Amino acid sequence: MDDRYSRQALFPPIGKEGLEKIRAKHVLMIGAGALGSGNAEILTRAGIGRLTIVDRDYVEASNLQRQQLYSEKDVEEKLPKAAAAAKRLRMINSQVEIQPVITDATPERLEELIAGVDLIIDATDNFETRMAINDISQKHQIPWIYGACVGSFGMSLTIIPGKTPCLNCLLKKIPIQGMTCDTGGIIAPAVQMAVSHQSAEALKILVEDWEAIRTTLVSFDLWRNQYTSMKITKAKDEGCLSCGNERTYPYLDSENMVKSTVLCGRDTVQIRPPKQGEIQLSELAAQLKTLGYKVSGNPYLISVEIEEQRLVIFSDGRALIHGTKDVTQAKTIYQRLLG
Amino acid sequence: MNKILFFAHLRDVVGEESLSFDAAGKTVAQLKGLLTKKYDSMNLDHVMTAINEEFASDEDVVQEGDLIAFIPPVSGG
Repeated sequence: MDDRYSRQALFPPIGKEGLEKIRAKHVLMIGAGALGSGNAEILTRAGIGRLTIVDRDYVEASNLQRQQLYSEKDVEEKLPKAAAAAKRLRMINSQVEIQPVITDATPERLEELIAGVDLIIDATDNFETRMAINDISQKHQIPWIYGACVGSFGMSLTIIPGKTPCLNCLLKKIPIQGMTCDTGGIIAPAVQMAVSHQSAEALKILVEDWEAIRTTLVSFDLWRNQYTSMKITKAKDEGCLSCGNERTYPYLDSENMVKSTVLCGRDTVQIRPPKQGEIQLSELAAQLKTLGYKVSGNPYLISVEIEEQRLVIFSDGRALIHGTKDVTQAKTIYQRLLG
Repeated sequence: MNKILFFAHLRDVVGEESLSFDAAGKTVAQLKGLLTKKYDSMNLDHVMTAINEEFASDEDVVQEGDLIAFIPPVSGG
């Protein structure tokens, strides 16, 4: 009777066998923003068995332009994204078991959530969490799919433990000045393009069509009409601490996480990046100014106004977030501006 | 001569999509250094490099005619 998957079954690489495989799989989605919404909707419609969707944020008006699962009502109710996503996804396909988890995807939480998972989809907005996902993936031998977008630009990479290089092989360390949606603006088509690359790879993995997996890092710019695929086989590093011969999974160690401290009596949280490194303050200030932020500063720091908070960024990557005692909120603001 | 392609915000820094530049014999790290000097607000520290559409490390040496692309990892999602 179940007609709903007939078109998917008619697609030869999936077929009826593929449908059964998809129905038996459990996907862990880290993030329920733009990429999370898009990927979750496609996989829910495709009929995966179980979807765990993790997010630490709530729905805001500025999300509606590109985060396809959310409505004005979710904004009015300030619903957590994971909860709002689960509500909508259950309406789309009641056959899928949806598990919303409203939390920060720390290494500890990832360890708890990884049991029984067949695939992790990266829908985060920061490299700190991505590197933790990368280590968890290697440790538990579970594939994950990197996706990211900013402006009209985006990229994706499929990481299969034991077969491909990992994100740590490619990046070596976390870029402290990565662009994020909030600093660079974003158009919905760039989200959808990244989602298309991620979810197509997800379907290949779920039906176990390993031959079909894309082995390149794909990047595109929909406004500037650029598209490139980079072969990454050479990036495999036997000395990599995440996937090499003597691995330590450095990003599962909380020592390497962003450190945050509430400054007593000052209504301020200090955030320290996991790795110290120089930030080009003048470049960052110019970038933020062009995006409409009120920025002032001196050679040692820049100050940025963001709604009720003020962020002071030092050249070693450290920041003070004034106007809050909430560590999670402070971390969110920090990562929006500094990736 | 080499053609150098710039992606995402790097293209705004350079002002065009690609650049002709003689980089033969130089390592990727040396080339990054030269470009950083040429463009004040360019930061290539964490940018991935492809030579002829293949991942290149900072130690790899550019050959005459190689196509080089600088692809910044992005974090938004």
